[in-house]
Amino acid sequence: MIASAGRLTRIAHLSRSVRLPLLVGLCLAGILAAAALGILASTPRISPAGLWDVLRGGGTPLDRVLITELRLPRFVLGVLGGAMLALSGALLQDAMRNPLAGPELLGVTAGATIVVAAITILHLAVTFVLIPWLALAGGLLAGGLVIILMRRTDDPIRLVLVGAALTALLNAAVIVLMSYGTQSDIGVLFLFLVGSLANRTWIQVRLILPWALVGIPLALLTARALNVLQLGEDVARGLGLPVLRVRVLVLVLSAALVAAVVAVCGPISFVALLAPHLVRRALDTSDARVVLPCCALVGAALLTGADVLARLTFDPLELPVGIWTTLLGGPLLLLLLRRQLRASRGDA
Amino acid sequence: MSTSLSVRPRTRLHIGRMGMRLRADLPFAGRRFPLGLLLGGLVLAVLCVLHIATGSVDLSPGQVIAALAGHPEQPFHTIIVWDLRLPRTLIALVTGAMFGLAGAILQAIMRNPLAEPEMTGATSGAVLAAVLWLGQGPGRLAEPGTVLPLIALAGGVAASGLVYLLSFQRSSLPGRLILTGLLVSAVLRSGTSIVLLLHQEALGSILIWLIGSLNGRVWVHWDVLWPWALVALPLGLASARWANILQLGDASATGLGLRVPYARAALLFIAALLAASAVAIVGGIAFLGLIAPHIARRLVGADARRVFPMSVILGAALLLAADIAAQLLLRPTTLPVGAVLAALGAPFFLYLLRWRTP
Repeated sequence: MIASAGRLTRIAHLSRSVRLPLLVGLCLAGILAAAALGILASTPRISPAGLWDVLRGGGTPLDRVLITELRLPRFVLGVLGGAMLALSGALLQDAMRNPLAGPELLGVTAGATIVVAAITILHLAVTFVLIPWLALAGGLLAGGLVIILMRRTDDPIRLVLVGAALTALLNAAVIVLMSYGTQSDIGVLFLFLVGSLANRTWIQVRLILPWALVGIPLALLTARALNVLQLGEDVARGLGLPVLRVRVLVLVLSAALVAAVVAVCGPISFVALLAPHLVRRALDTSDARVVLPCCALVGAALLTGADVLARLTFDPLELPVGIWTTLLGGPLLLLLLRRQLRASRGDA
Repeated sequence: MSTSLSVRPRTRLHIGRMGMRLRADLPFAGRRFPLGLLLGGLVLAVLCVLHIATGSVDLSPGQVIAALAGHPEQPFHTIIVWDLRLPRTLIALVTGAMFGLAGAILQAIMRNPLAEPEMTGATSGAVLAAVLWLGQGPGRLAEPGTVLPLIALAGGVAASGLVYLLSFQRSSLPGRLILTGLLVSAVLRSGTSIVLLLHQEALGSILIWLIGSLNGRVWVHWDVLWPWALVALPLGLASARWANILQLGDASATGLGLRVPYARAALLFIAALLAASAVAIVGGIAFLGLIAPHIARRLVGADARRVFPMSVILGAALLLAADIAAQLLLRPTTLPVGAVLAALGAPFFLYLLRWRTP
């Protein structure tokens, strides 16, 4: 394990000078392209000249509203949400030393879902604006419960099972609620369950922004501790790292990141799972100091890109972005992990 | 991949006193397997009667047995028991058995106690095919034709074939099979979501069907189910010998003369057949194929020749019991039975947790 990590870092040293700028450049280009397409191309179209007018403070009223009130916040949300999801995935995978760890393991998604399901189907008298906040509270509550339950353990499988148990329970409750719902309620709930960026405005961006501003830098700061954790718990402890405390901290951080995104966009799958793998493969390193910032970039590019796809494929009809992240993410992850499985054939 | 808990069959040493002790440590049903089977059968019979007795009109077990025997207390008991409740009970019995056996086969060939029918793509493939067909016209869910199960079956078998092809390389690793299955299932599920979003008018009823429900299952459904069960259940039970050899690991199995990739493909196909034909009738019931073989293994040890029949019994018993609960818990509403089984997942994971912690 340690020997192979050492070899990986050496290979990375040789080629990082090329790979890193390439990846960063590609991601930035992708995000820019997504921004341009997202703002200009979907129905109704806006010409580049129209965008230029709006940027200079003029433009037709329709273009102005479309750009500043609908498409720009949506793009910003995609960037922030993608970065947060990808970071939380990277944190979880390193902290649990499980390449398939995703945010759903923390029960955060299920916690937010049950809140939204209850509000939608029982017709609770809640203001529209308040729903994401309540979903956030539900997600954090469930995540907190799972983290408290898994606190005193080193066993990665135990970590997985606690989250799975809570998720199973909450999902069953959602199903029970669904069997009470009317057709239209279930439709609304289903749209949330798939995960979407549609019809989000600055209100949602304002909700997510503080979490992003605090969460993303904090997540980047954990890189050194994560690097030590990757060596295994015994080695980490030998190096003087308070393993359990660090792990709880990392889990709380990633639960908070995911909860904010899920509360606003619904459970968007595969971004958190895929981005870290993409980065590790592209850079040929698992050094968290490099992986984490790149993850944020890749996540943002993935989510905004998928969102553009979601809007343009069936234009003017749009599909929830969660469908596209799964349709693209599933096969991609399979490709990425095939190599890894082949390499570690013994203990797969 | 640390999500996969690899289990090796526990080897038992039959040497001297130690061997005696280990043998005595085996749970009751392991030592007296035929007796265990008999007990299981009895439990099933009782559950069947109770299941028939449950419903919007309460019947006593005595009334049920009388009506079944052809001497009903009241004439309308015959209608209730024979026309309304017996098909539901039979369908629960057989699909439960099929889910249980499919799970047992998969856990054996993947050497992973967390494997379940969902992971072969069988469930999600069947669901996608069914939803595609249902989306073609309104009201197709209402008419219980013979076409839907066939389509679901084709989808399920095709999906698990895809999973197998994708995971197949020179040697087909159990770990890769699970991973491929999970990812293919996720992709298929989002395909289902697309169809559902494009046909929102049928969304509610289809979603409930996806969760798995026995509500409104009648003789027409049974007529479609039984031929598949008649083929797939014996096939699955007969494959226990291969499963036993596969559990020893690929190297040992090859050494014993088994052509591992073919055997694994055959078992996978049988499991997919079982799961897909059950899904076609009752929808994608979660956790049943996961829990039943687990309990079976705790009861009778790791020998597939015992685990498989026990899983059949336990799967059927679990589904019957869950359906009774689904009808009674929130009366007068009848829950989809999938909800009850999904809730059972939670204690199951906690149990796994306890079992793993020293």
